[in-house]
Parts: sequence; C-alpha cells; structure tokens
Amino acid sequence: MAQRTLASILAVALVAVIAAGWPSASAVGQVAGTFRTPLGGEPATLDPYFSVDSSSGPLTALMYTTLVAFDSGGRLVPAGARSWDISPNGLIYTFHLRDNVKFHGGRKVTAADWKWSFERMGDPTLKALVADVVLSGVTGYDAYQKGAAEIAGLKVVDPQTLQLVLNPSHRGGFLNRLAYYAAVVLDKDVVEKGGKGWFGTRDAGSGPFIFKEWVHNSRITLAGDPNFAQGPPKISRLELPIVTEASTQLSEYVSGQLDLVQVPLADFQRIKADPVLSKELFVAPRAQILFLGLNARVYEAFKDARVRRAIAMAIDRAKIAQTVFFGFYRPANSIVPPGIPGFYADYKGLPYDPAQAKKLLEEAGVAGKLPPLRIAMNPFTPIAQMAGEPIVAMLRANLGLDAQLEKTEFSNFIASLNKRTVYQSFLTGWSADYLDYSDYLDLLLDSRSVLDRVNYNNPEFDKLIDQANAAPTESRRIEIYHKAEALAVQDAQFVPLFFSQFAMLKKPYVQGLETTPMLSGWLPFTRVSVQK
Amino acid sequence: MIRYLAYRAALAIPLFLGAALLIFLAGHYAPGDPVQTLLGDHYNPQTAARMRHELGLDRPLAIQFVAYVRDAVTLDFGTSYVNPSWRVGDIVRQTLPISLGLAALAVALAAAAGVGLGLAAAVTSGRAADRLIQVGVLSGLSVPSFVVAAVLVLVFALHWRLLPVAGWGKPQDYVLPVVVLAGAPIAYITRITRSSVAQVLTEDYVRTARSKGLRAPVVLLRHVLRNAALPVVTTVGIAFGNAIVGAFVVEVVFNIPGIARIAVNAILQRDYTVIQTVMLVYTALFTAINLAVDISYAYLNPRVRY
Repeated sequence: MAQRTLASILAVALVAVIAAGWPSASAVGQVAGTFRTPLGGEPATLDPYFSVDSSSGPLTALMYTTLVAFDSGGRLVPAGARSWDISPNGLIYTFHLRDNVKFHGGRKVTAADWKWSFERMGDPTLKALVADVVLSGVTGYDAYQKGAAEIAGLKVVDPQTLQLVLNPSHRGGFLNRLAYYAAVVLDKDVVEKGGKGWFGTRDAGSGPFIFKEWVHNSRITLAGDPNFAQGPPKISRLELPIVTEASTQLSEYVSGQLDLVQVPLADFQRIKADPVLSKELFVAPRAQILFLGLNARVYEAFKDARVRRAIAMAIDRAKIAQTVFFGFYRPANSIVPPGIPGFYADYKGLPYDPAQAKKLLEEAGVAGKLPPLRIAMNPFTPIAQMAGEPIVAMLRANLGLDAQLEKTEFSNFIASLNKRTVYQSFLTGWSADYLDYSDYLDLLLDSRSVLDRVNYNNPEFDKLIDQANAAPTESRRIEIYHKAEALAVQDAQFVPLFFSQFAMLKKPYVQGLETTPMLSGWLPFTRVSVQK
Repeated sequence: MIRYLAYRAALAIPLFLGAALLIFLAGHYAPGDPVQTLLGDHYNPQTAARMRHELGLDRPLAIQFVAYVRDAVTLDFGTSYVNPSWRVGDIVRQTLPISLGLAALAVALAAAAGVGLGLAAAVTSGRAADRLIQVGVLSGLSVPSFVVAAVLVLVFALHWRLLPVAGWGKPQDYVLPVVVLAGAPIAYITRITRSSVAQVLTEDYVRTARSKGLRAPVVLLRHVLRNAALPVVTTVGIAFGNAIVGAFVVEVVFNIPGIARIAVNAILQRDYTVIQTVMLVYTALFTAINLAVDISYAYLNPRVRY
C-alpha cells in the first residue's frame, strides 16, 4: 500500500507538471541577429505617455519616434523631423517631417498625427504624467487644460509641416523637452480601436522596433522594423526578459544568457579585477545625483540656513566617493549632473570644512543642543545606505550631532517623501527623465512644484526660475539657471553629494552600442549588430 | 466519510472570509500606497487622485472589502492595481500551474529520495551508511535554501556551465530550482522515515514475518514500510506546503514566473487585489493539503475513521 501511496504522489506530480505544460522553449543560446538585454521589472504600462519607470521608458524609446533626439554626444539631432526653422523672435518652431516615417501598421505619419498625439497627451481628463514637461511651452496648453477645443499653438501647416508656437513665459529648453523619450507620435487607429489596454497586444509606434510578444512577468520580444525611416536596425529580434534581481542578471550574463547588463555597484570592483569580464566592462556618463534633503518643516533647527550649511560642510564628499564608492562616483558640487546641457562644471559649491561648520552651529546658538536627527534612506538600491553610514559618522565626529539612519521599504519611503511632513532628512537620488536643467531645478526645488520634497521656499530662487524659462536664448537661460543653482546650494536644503555613472557589461560580439546619460543608459539599438 | 468531507468543506467558507479580512486589513493598514508607489518619483497629486478614484481606493475600507468579496464569489478578482491591463484571475491562471508543477516535482523528488534514504539508514542503523545519511540530514535541515541555491548556481551554472543560471521554459531550467526546493524536505522525510521504520522493525510481527522465511526486501516493503507510512505521509504533506513557501525564495533567485514571485512583487508594490487573491489561493492550497493528509490517514490506517 505504501508503494501505492508513493506511486499516487508521483502520478499527481506528473499530472501537475503536464497540466503546467512545458512552456514553448524560446531561442536557446545566442543566434545571429538576436540581441538580449534584461528589463528590471514588469512594465506597468506601455502607453508612452505614462511610461516613466525604468522598464517601460526604454521600451517607448525602442518602439516610438520623437520629433528630435539627443545623440550619444549630447547634441540635438533630427528624428521624426528632418529639420526645423525657428522664427527670428524665437517663438515659432516649424518642423519639416521626414516623408518616409510609417507607423508599424503601414500608414504614413503626418503632421495631423502629431497634433492628435500631443492633444491626447495634454488631455486634461487623461492626466498624462509627461504632458506638463512637453507641452507647457506651447501656447494654448493652459487654455486646453481649462476646456478649450484644441491646443492653439499646435498647427498643421501641411501634411509634412508642423508648427509649434511657444508660450513666451515658458519657452526655455523647448527642444530639450521635445527630445524627451515620451514626446512621441501615436497611431490614432491603434489607440482608439484598442480601448483601455490598447498597448497590451501591439504598439502604436513608428520607431525602429515593433512589439511582438509580452509574456507577463516573463519577457517582452520586439522585432526590427525593416521600414524604419532612418534605416532598418541590424538586429532582427530583441529579447527583453524580465529579471528583477540584479545579481541574477549578472549571473545570466556571465553564463551567456544575456548580451548587455548593468553592473550592480557592489560587483563593480570584482568585475574590474576579473581577467575576462574586465574586458567587457565599460563605463558611461549618467545624469544622476545622490543628495541629502534637509526638511525644515519637520526638523525645527533647519529653519536656520547656517545649521543646514553646517551639515553640508561637515560631510567629506571626496573621501566618501573615494573610499566607499572607490572613485566610481564623484563628489557633486552642484545640483544638476554632467550630461545635462549647460552643466556647471567650474562651480565649487560648499567646501568640506568641519571647523567652519562647527562655527556656524555656534553662531546659530545650537552647538551641542541639536536634537537627534533621523536620516531616511531610499531602499531601492543599497547605495543610499552605503553613503549614509559614513555621513552619520562624520556628523557625529564633526558636529557632535546624534544622527541615525532610518530604513523602511520602498512603498512606505515614497509615500512619506511625497507627504513632505514625515522625514526630517532623507537620502535619495534623482535621474534625468529628459536632458534639461528644468528636470532638476524647476522640478525639485521650485516651491510651486509638487516634487519640492525638501520644502525649499526661496522667492528669489523661484523668480530666477521664471526668468530662465522666459529667457530669449539658451545661453542666457543657462546663465540664469547657474545663478539659481548656486543660490540653492548655498541655501543647503538640497545638499548635493555624488554624481554617479553607468557601468555595463557588453559581450564582445555586440557592436555599435551607443549610450545616453538617461534611462537605462543606452540609445535605441538602431546601429547595434550581433556578430558571431 | 462523506459527512466529514462536507463538514470540512463548509468550514473552509468562514476560514476564507477570515483570511480575506485579515489580509485586507493588514494590506491597507501597512504604510505605503499603491498609487504613490506606482508613480514613484513622478508623483503628482492630481494624477494620483485620478488613479485612486479609478481604482476605487477613495471609497471607505468596508465598502472596498464588501465589493472585493462580492466579486471574488463570482471568481472575478478584478484587475491588478499596478498593471490595470492585467486581470488578477489571469495572473493566477498563468502563474499558479508553474508554482504547483515546481512544488509537485520537488515533493516527488523529496518523497522518493527521503523514503529511500530513510529506509537505508534504518536498516543500516549505527553503521557508516547510517552515519553518513544522518550528517546529510543535518546539513539539509540547517543550510537555508538561498545558500543552497547560490552554491548550486555557482557550481553547476557558472563553473561547469551544465545548467542555466535562471530562466524558464526549457526542461533544464527545472533542475536547480527543484533540487533546491527538495533539499530540506528530503532531510526531514529521511529523518521521519528512519525513526518510523526503526520503530516498526522492533515489532513482533516483523520478527514473525522473518521467522516464517520471508526474504528481507519483502518484509521491509510489505510489512515494515506500510506500517511506518503514517507519519511519513504527514511529512510529505508538510513537504508540499514547504515547497510552496520555499518558492518565495526559489522563484525570485531563479527568475521563475510563478505565483510566489508575483506575490513578492505585489507585496512590495501594495498591489492589493493581487495580494488578496494570491493569499486566498495559498489559504486554499494549505486547506487542501491538510484535508488530503487527513483523508490519507483513513486510507492507510483502517483504525482511523471519521
């Protein structure tokens, strides 16, 4: 009878396995023309106007077309538009569309498609996450938000010509914003016929790659579009398995299951020392800053700028960058990272000066009297903790401040951050969504922004931001931004700590990869080839 | 027996309701919010409010719970908050078979290896083979599965390149996860089998069977194993539960698109509908396992009657 029991257990097991079915095997090993790189998580959506996470954002860039784009050297280049003219007063942009851009369904992209798409993006009932970035510079956007029938500044001149009339008070960085990976044209037919989850089975794009398959929680597969306007991609198939653990991604790369991966910071030195892997390792610029936020609304003593400045000056950023981040991260003197046009390279910021820091506390009358300070850490990666531990030690040693790190999980961290009245101080980072100064200063420090999580409120700073947005030329705008940036650094509610970089591993048979300081670090794989 | 089954089935209803309520409250009272987690650094109060309204999260908790139970009764578990284009029922349909298949294979391996090793240990009691098995059992019980997983990946996938590091779809993808999941169950099935068999071996009827001239293997299989099976079956039941729970580590490490990995992500993202449904599935699984073990008692031991 025991044998029978065992046999039935085995039978049940077998049936269960057969019921589960061996899912159809995907391509085994590397095949010519196939390129494999992982996504860090299941994308929440593939609607480009809501695709802002690190999984869905890169997919938008692969499947869709913007009017203009940044190349790997940070220069603006034509994309959906082959050229553009700017009126003498700098307020009217006329885009001449390429005449060979086709949606993946086969229909030609016209100026009317761009108008329809941007009006969908700005639709007040849709509340797309990216609308303000792309459209706030266009006249009539505000009226459209209040119910106007169309965005007045968005004009179809003829099927191949699109005109955008700028809002003089919000003209700054207009082309940089148009190069945002989310500022794409959509195929109206696909979006309207597909209903709410239209992006689940096909794309509405005209980019280099076509949506093929989305096996939830497992993988997304794209195919090269042979009709892509700027020449067909050299790879025919793009496999994007969803691999949530960075260590698993790395192991899969080492064993040959992936062709391109990000290197987790903790593995960087080991890989650099490895005789084989070090040859496949490369470092690329990244527009990302790690900072310490000091919230005066919760920690009373931070209302005095001297106290905040003392904190900033008691942290030896250079030493932490060298010892904890082994020189891979660099000390940040300013807020906006390299890779953003106009980077303030020669700004010195607040120096490390523990004696001066102590003096500042004495002047403020709080030396030795500060209550314990809790520093919340972003738990998304171990980096905030790696930076936080030496910072706590330095604040104790240099200022006698009883600082403590506070760890929580991500969902709670983000919710508390957004409330703006929970954390006394916090350690987190900011990565560029689009390569423009406004993605940092307007968004993170203007008192009118909902993402001003440090509660910075300096009317002079806000005024400078307005001036920058209305500046007639890009160079004048950057000058004003530099002033605002220096002011914010001296006010020290947003304490810049480190600028990071990308570290990636790429198989030697992969050629033609280009990088960008945004997103996952790579530009759409239009020139990538796999030679085996 | 039928009455007993009906009784157990009826008992499952309050059990499910209670579990659903506990999971619901724990989820909603835990700090964090699915909408803000989803928006992350792109938080904007207006977008958040619109999403919250669309998901029905702005309704009172009691109403949300009643609506969930009402829909769940008709097996409509709604859509995922994190990915509104994905129905929770479909998530379970796609991922549960993967996890169950994995667990079933692990239990089958554990049962076969555990019973075999346990028998071997019992008949060689006190000798070298027994000692060796005992050491193996001890390490199987003490080394956590994530360590076993890492070591196996290092040796078999990265060093010898015999098996894939992670992934899903091909038969060879099953090997390492199944071995890791079976590790601990092999150890305690071996231990229980050994002690149970050792005890039965001292019984009079075993001596009688031997003295009437039966060959040793026949005695062992027909008389000993059958009488020693009761505690072993319980352990196999527990092993199944263990394999399901162990999947929380194994599916993440080996990147297997099963229900445990879904559960881990759903918890981190406060994806309430998914958490609730997945936990109900787990409640159902454990209830079923316990019932199966109870029924197998009656089957194996005629003295047990319900």
